[in-house]
Amino acid sequence: MSGRDGASPTDRADRHFRDALDANYRRTSRLFLALMIVQWIFAIVVALLWSPYAWVGKVRSIHVHVYAAVVLGGAISSLPIFLTLTRPAAAVTRMVVAAAQSLWSGLLVHLTGGRIETHFHVFVSLAFLAFYRDWKILVPATVVTASDHLMRGIFWPESVYGTMTAEWWRFLEHVFWVAFEDFVLVLACVRGVAETRELASRQAETEAMTAREREKSVALEAANEELSASRDALAQLAEVGELAASIGHDLRNPLGAVRNAATYVAKRGRDPELPKGALATDARFNACLGIMEKELETCSRIIADLLDFARWRKPDLHACPLGPLVDDAIALTPPRANVRLENEVPAELPVPMLDKDQFRQVLINLIQNGSEAIPGDRDGIVRVSASGGDDAPFLVSISDNGVGMADTRKIFQPLFTTKTKGTGLGLAIVAGMVTRHGGRIRVESETGKGSTFHIELPQAQADAAPAS
Amino acid sequence: MAATPAAVEIELPTRTPLARRGLLPAAIIAWVALVSGGTIALARYKAQPGPAAVSPPAWPTDSVAPRRDGLHTLVMLAHPRCPCTMASLAELERLISRVDGRAIASIVFIRPAGSGDEWRESDLWRRAQQIPGLRLIDDPGGVEAKRFGAYTSGHVLLYGPDGHLRFSGGITAARGHEGESAGEARILALIGGDEAAGDAPVFGCELDDPSPTGAPRFEPEAGGPRSSPGAGEP
Repeated sequence: MSGRDGASPTDRADRHFRDALDANYRRTSRLFLALMIVQWIFAIVVALLWSPYAWVGKVRSIHVHVYAAVVLGGAISSLPIFLTLTRPAAAVTRMVVAAAQSLWSGLLVHLTGGRIETHFHVFVSLAFLAFYRDWKILVPATVVTASDHLMRGIFWPESVYGTMTAEWWRFLEHVFWVAFEDFVLVLACVRGVAETRELASRQAETEAMTAREREKSVALEAANEELSASRDALAQLAEVGELAASIGHDLRNPLGAVRNAATYVAKRGRDPELPKGALATDARFNACLGIMEKELETCSRIIADLLDFARWRKPDLHACPLGPLVDDAIALTPPRANVRLENEVPAELPVPMLDKDQFRQVLINLIQNGSEAIPGDRDGIVRVSASGGDDAPFLVSISDNGVGMADTRKIFQPLFTTKTKGTGLGLAIVAGMVTRHGGRIRVESETGKGSTFHIELPQAQADAAPAS
Repeated sequence: MAATPAAVEIELPTRTPLARRGLLPAAIIAWVALVSGGTIALARYKAQPGPAAVSPPAWPTDSVAPRRDGLHTLVMLAHPRCPCTMASLAELERLISRVDGRAIASIVFIRPAGSGDEWRESDLWRRAQQIPGLRLIDDPGGVEAKRFGAYTSGHVLLYGPDGHLRFSGGITAARGHEGESAGEARILALIGGDEAAGDAPVFGCELDDPSPTGAPRFEPEAGGPRSSPGAGEP
């Protein structure tokens, strides 16, 4: 299986392995960078404290150790410092560092007067070098140590073995112990590299598993969405079924009235004995025609509501001044003699972005709702006001002083109505349109005192609104 | 564990201009030459002994250094400020601890002509005072050094119970370098009963300025050498 970047787990493991080694090389090079500087400073301090001067009688001169610490120590550290700074992960850097560290052992042994304790520097240095986890660099370190001993053993045998008659091969005794530590460190390096490779493989496997899990998760999410869509479709079907039953019920009453009226109208219209012009004066005939017209209007409204609810469309937003739109809505709302409709939208209100037709329908529904909530036996008023814009959201309020509602929790659900002749779709249509405008709608109502619908439209809608 | 070592080379994405121009190999070669040369020069310096000395074959009777019949006598001539002699002193301490009462030991600190008592205020003097069984001798003008024919700090002389010179030389393997040495081994053998006299090179500072003729020019001062007991010395 390949990961998202197309690499196979093997490739990924190789890459992690190389990255881990590279990071370790860089980390260890930083350690030796510091060590090269510290050793140099340490050597100078040792030389100055331990052997600052050489003497010839009363005459003193700077001791060779001081020059060795400053010049030779600086020379030994110079190239490793340069390479650890510029090529910290390069093989040549590790090789040079290893050789330099062995040279440092030799120099420190000289500077401290050959103290046996200083010889531990050789072994500690080898252990430090093993931090690179590259067994090959132990070779130059050992070669430098061995060659230092071999060279001094041949030319100045006393400086190494304590006897003028040392055999040339005696350096092997010293090298043996170094080689012994090398053997242990080679094992440690090889094991370290193997563990690094294993970790890289595990990391690659984990990533592959994570990728598989992610793919499963995506598939699961898609399945969930599909399921959710199916569930929504089922719910919608159920809603449609319920709606159909409700609509059927709502349509049956007016159609029944129309049928009764039509029966009478047909019967009278087909009566051969009816004198010409008698129908015009037949009060019942005319009442039946009125019933048919009124009830068919009711049917038409029910069908229109149903279509508005069922065939919603995305709002087509344009800059649309609110005040004139409220005037339009008021003009299109069926008037009632005892109800006054007032447009209180301030003229200076910024222009919001609206779908003119949809929002007019929202206003008509809410104004008509408010109007119908006012009992016929007293006067009432429906007010439309608005505020906000600029830096704040728009707030449009439609309030009435009608009968109010005791329970407003379900009023935006389809098919819920508190009116005797409502379809229960009006407020559901309103809520859908407001939501599709990116806004929110809520209601405050108190029984006997009236209701207020608050529509909040996002201020962003108005920002880009050029006046139209 | 893997069957074969698995060292991995990291390929750098881009090579540095230094490497591209071939300067890196040149720099490495120059570095190797520089540090090798420096190391060899330092080793040569450390292995450079002082001038050969001619010591009296019989114990000089006018010496202030203590000697006891029936015992070997060890005398070290030392420059009190010579840092290299610290290694010789450490080896002398080991020698004394190993001869176990079969020899008496003293160290003669040269005080060049014209120098005051403050000349003795040195780490070497203080270190020597802590060595059990070692007698310290202040040698204004280097009278004792001249008497024993020593030129180099750290020079050790071993006289047998009969007062004859058995060993003359150094007891370190190199200048200021602790550890086993041919001189130390010879002294131990002699005190142990070996009859073959021996010598060894001496590594250390020169005890006094050489005269134009090359010979030390110690100038005895009034009062002459004074000895003082070391730690544990009655």
